[in-house]
Amino acid sequence: MNPKVNGESQVWVWVEHHQQELAKVSLGLLGKARELCQQLGGGEVASVLVGAEELAAELIDHGSDKVYLANNPPFPLFETELCTHLMTGLIQSHQPEIILWGATSLGRETASRVAAKLGTGLTAHCIDLCIEEINGKHQLVATVAGWGGNLTLKIICPQRRPQMATVKPGILSPSPREKRNGEVIPVKVEDKTPRTDIVEVVEEQKKAKSLEEAEVVVVGGWGLNSVGGFQAVGELAQILKGSVAGTRPAVDAGWIPAERMVGQSGKTVAPQLLVTLGVSGAAQFATGVLNSKLILAVDKDPHAPIFEMADVGIVGDLQEVLPLLIDKLRAIKGNT
Amino acid sequence: MPCDIVVCVKQVPHPDYLNKISIDPTGGTIEREGVPALINPGDRNALEEALGIRDRFSGRVIVLTMGPPQARKALEEALAMDADDAIHLCDRAFAGADTLATAQALAYGIRKLEHFDLILCGNTTIDSGTGQVAVQLAELLDLPSIIDAEELTFEDERSLLVKRIWERGYIKVRIKLPAVIAVTAKINQPRLPTVLGIMAATQKEIKNWTAADTGADTGRVGLDGSPTQFFEMSEFHAKRQGEILQGSPEEAVTLAIDKLVEREIL
Amino acid sequence: MDFSLTREQEILRDTVREFAQRELAPNALAWDEKGEFIRDIVKKTAELGLVGIITSKEYGGSGMGHLARMIMVEEFSKVYASLGFFFQTGQIGIYILENFGTEELKKKYLPSLCQADLITATALTESGGGSDPAAITTTAELVGEEYIINGRKVFISLAPVCDLAVIVARTGERFSTFLVERGTPGFDTPRRENYPGLRGIPVGELVFTNCRVPKSNLVGQEGKGIAVAISGIGAVGRTGVAGVGLGTAEGCYEVALKYAKERVLYGKPIAELQAVQHMLVEANLEIEAARWLCYYAAWLLDQGKSPRDAGNEIARSKLYACNIASQIALKAIQVMGGYGTIPEYQVVRRLNDAIELFTAAGTQEIMKNTIGRSIIS
Repeated sequence: MNPKVNGESQVWVWVEHHQQELAKVSLGLLGKARELCQQLGGGEVASVLVGAEELAAELIDHGSDKVYLANNPPFPLFETELCTHLMTGLIQSHQPEIILWGATSLGRETASRVAAKLGTGLTAHCIDLCIEEINGKHQLVATVAGWGGNLTLKIICPQRRPQMATVKPGILSPSPREKRNGEVIPVKVEDKTPRTDIVEVVEEQKKAKSLEEAEVVVVGGWGLNSVGGFQAVGELAQILKGSVAGTRPAVDAGWIPAERMVGQSGKTVAPQLLVTLGVSGAAQFATGVLNSKLILAVDKDPHAPIFEMADVGIVGDLQEVLPLLIDKLRAIKGNT
Repeated sequence: MPCDIVVCVKQVPHPDYLNKISIDPTGGTIEREGVPALINPGDRNALEEALGIRDRFSGRVIVLTMGPPQARKALEEALAMDADDAIHLCDRAFAGADTLATAQALAYGIRKLEHFDLILCGNTTIDSGTGQVAVQLAELLDLPSIIDAEELTFEDERSLLVKRIWERGYIKVRIKLPAVIAVTAKINQPRLPTVLGIMAATQKEIKNWTAADTGADTGRVGLDGSPTQFFEMSEFHAKRQGEILQGSPEEAVTLAIDKLVEREIL
Repeated sequence: MDFSLTREQEILRDTVREFAQRELAPNALAWDEKGEFIRDIVKKTAELGLVGIITSKEYGGSGMGHLARMIMVEEFSKVYASLGFFFQTGQIGIYILENFGTEELKKKYLPSLCQADLITATALTESGGGSDPAAITTTAELVGEEYIINGRKVFISLAPVCDLAVIVARTGERFSTFLVERGTPGFDTPRRENYPGLRGIPVGELVFTNCRVPKSNLVGQEGKGIAVAISGIGAVGRTGVAGVGLGTAEGCYEVALKYAKERVLYGKPIAELQAVQHMLVEANLEIEAARWLCYYAAWLLDQGKSPRDAGNEIARSKLYACNIASQIALKAIQVMGGYGTIPEYQVVRRLNDAIELFTAAGTQEIMKNTIGRSIIS
């Protein structure tokens, strides 16, 4: 089946939102959807939005040519059965080529059900998506990291349609917002009683976690010698609501206890954010932090191995950089 | 009130060996043979939950796996934990399956069972980690499902109150049996097999079912039944972007923070 | 010859390994510093059926056998030797009761022992001699339906916490084995030693002052006490100590190996430096050899050989494993340089445990005598 270029939407995004705000993951997917359309050589991007009518315009400004608005009546996104039912109906009517979903708890569940209902493919936790021509056909090529992150696999769904993929939050950057034209298409929501009852929805602040579970870890190394020790690590960790850790030299220097050591013979951490301060990044440290989502490294030596394994690096005198980093982060996070 | 529970388990490579997995260049499949393997840790949580329910309410715990011959060892470990029955869906026709084809095979197997009230699965596996099979299985069996379950409570014989974890907190959901529930690692601590349990396990029969035994349509399972396929595989080399920010310390710090915001870290 | 473990033994090994990681690893250093008996952990092992692992199901055991037991002792000892040592000493009484006790005694005590609701200490040693049983001066005099026991046993593991004592006393010209319950008037455990190693096993004295026990508490035949005790010490004590030595050696080796792969000097991990690597290789070889000696001795017992008939194999395993345990601990300390004796790295406490093993369940020299007598006869 070749992509329908004339007027039919091809690449869809399942939109998540909360309290009148669009989820960043959905905005990231929109950006990717536009890219895929370009690679397909034409086509349209459509969003599927349940409730939250006021967000439709914003979706258009972020790149959606069409917004299928299921507002009549709206239902919460927790009702994954209703989401499944809606999407299945829409897909059968409009036959999109590709659908992108956020790999959130609710997104994954809905996407999996839709895929099973339609007998089509769903690739989970993609780290990249693009279009390639394979055997004369345009295919969505999804890249995933498998087997503990040790293998990179490219996956296609050659025959079945739509081709579907989920992407975790934080992988794609939100598409830019600019004034655009688009169409809002109301969709009638069929009456259906879900088989599960939502009894209670509770929003919670995240509690303090162990080092291995921490979402943010700030690691101090030998380079902190130049700023007299570990205070900066503690301050940053507090601002970022993260955990404090150190490399072996930090333990040896008595700045932190051995339980807070990260590295091959210490703890392995996989936080959303890892900040290293004055850490040179020797091999045994690397193995302890490989699966961190994003690594920000600060060190004075531009040739330090840490910069090969960090996503973002700042080279500079710690005495200058650290106070700036602390002040600016404090300002953003609004902490005292 | 007895509750018969099916626990779907998968044999996965031992975590210490995940980074030693290699790719078979001819078939483009993962080399699993010879690599130490065990029951997927999350599946043990599902099994423990099932055993806990059985301890309270009676019933049978049936462990089911779809896998190559060596997957039998995972069933032995489950029986050692005191599962009652074990079924091994083993057939070349099942091999090379993606999540949908796996769910299909499991569904065929489960339809052959006389009776079940609840199906429990682990949330994700440590190897492929998609977290999709439980939901797809539920859809194929036309059952309701909940994933990310951290707590299960029986409200009455046929109704469960499930605490489901969500990015912003948790959601309490009521679900009626029969149903499929995928549980998180936090739900319990799996029991260790006892010596008597280990000795009894090797005496228990493991049923081997082929595709034909389950009445499976071979076009829906295995490689043939997989809508998705591997296109290319390579070993991952941990080199990240490694972008060193330019400018004065002030500029570099500002840029760094912008990047964190952009990547939704802040 | 099939050298593989049975599937059951494999699952058992994985199970006890996981138990050691869950329960022992996080606490070993703290327990060692405190020097407390971890009775609650012993209870947990009992709940899995491990305390009754060589006892028949008929008496509340699980009956998986001596090789399974050896694997368990090895795995526990890798992480916390005191727990492995518990099985060395605490199971001797269980074995003796099952093999020599009356039905009445077996039914009365074995189920509780297998559940670790009761704990035994086994005692031969006195201040006049340990390796020389003929020097025993504790007496048991038959008066009517009771034996009256007088004497003092020293260096007895688990004495301060035991609920039952299995002791050898002189009955006339010869010796007999008795069971004495704590709380029996005239039976006291007054003293506790403070050892630098195996600190989780309390050691002390058993003192008997006109202690009266019923005739039915005689274990085995009167006059056969030494044979009864040695049987248990051979089958359970020596094999257990061998397993503790093996596990202790392995624990040291694993810590040193991990360290050596990580510590970078001269631009590469020190494991790649020949001198260090050779130390690790020697340890690797010694551990392999010890393991096979230990497993073989245990296997023979599972095949039905008596501890007496398997005496040489048992002696070899104890002799060799206990020799290498302290040697490998010393090697590990040297591989780790300045970190070697830092308590947090947990090699020094293993060295301390290792040196306690020389004289446990029979000294190294006694092991040599046993083998020597046999080879020259």
